[in-house]
Amino acid sequence: MTGGAVFAVGTPLPARQIDVTTTLIVCGAIASRDFYAGHHDRDAAVRAGSPDVFMNIMTTAGLVSGYLTDWAGPRAVIHEIDLRLGAPNYPGDVMRLTGDVVDSVTGETGAAVTVRFEGRNSRGAHARGTARLEIRQ
Amino acid sequence: MSDLVTDELHARLLAFVGRTSGAPRVAADAVNAPMIRHWCQAMGDENPGYTDPDWAESGPFGQIVAPPAMLQSWTHHDRRFPTATEPGNAEEELVDVLAEAGYTSVVATGCTLRFVRYLTVGDRVHYQATIRSVSPRKSTALGEGYFVTTEMRYIDAAGEPVGAVDFVTLRFRPARVSGGE
Repeated sequence: MTGGAVFAVGTPLPARQIDVTTTLIVCGAIASRDFYAGHHDRDAAVRAGSPDVFMNIMTTAGLVSGYLTDWAGPRAVIHEIDLRLGAPNYPGDVMRLTGDVVDSVTGETGAAVTVRFEGRNSRGAHARGTARLEIRQ
Repeated sequence: MSDLVTDELHARLLAFVGRTSGAPRVAADAVNAPMIRHWCQAMGDENPGYTDPDWAESGPFGQIVAPPAMLQSWTHHDRRFPTATEPGNAEEELVDVLAEAGYTSVVATGCTLRFVRYLTVGDRVHYQATIRSVSPRKSTALGEGYFVTTEMRYIDAAGEPVGAVDFVTLRFRPARVSGGE
């Protein structure tokens, strides 16, 4: 970890494309112990008003979390993720995650960094928000 | 659906604001390596701090930790297996009142996750929710419904806070005709 300038305000995070599949949606829901049928049963999802199963918010948070720490490194500690959901993620969507550093304070032990992120699919922003991380030297 | 009925429902829902889910609910399972591994595999998260004990030993916590975004998973309640009805659980009563009125569907629309500390294997999470607000009835692309904001607090076995989630859901009456695209 080189600290300092790497996390300067304005630094973009490398974009990441995530193929949203039924498998990802179902595995994410079950791994987060969310057995709401709309996340794994297409017929139930349709009855509940969706065109297909849709990603649960915990999976979105998990994907964002992995996106952040893959960039910041495994020693980074996440303090806060503030997440607003918009367009749902359905099977067949491709979500493109982007982000940039909007605040950065470097101290003796590392940097306190705020990242703004967005995950877009073809219908608009699935998720947008900010996260606060501590990146230790 | 008359406005009178709608107003009555909203008034009933507002009575839940400030009420809690009752006594803190204990997680069925302590924080454990298999659930952590399942989560990481499902999410495609290869952070060694979650699954590699050798790496984690020299990592920031000296041992493997749970991915922080798993916080809600440890105490997530499966309504297919209701526990003994505990009177005074406003979180569940609110869902029942909405469902009886036809607002049977739910989507999450936002969450703010705050982590006080990372959880380690063996931690036993306790959960308590407080209903913070219920919006007036709104028309959305999914159908008409109410936005419910819930403050979820998580504490450890010693009673110390480990994290909190402000969670917003839309409880709605599906606009789409059953079976339609």
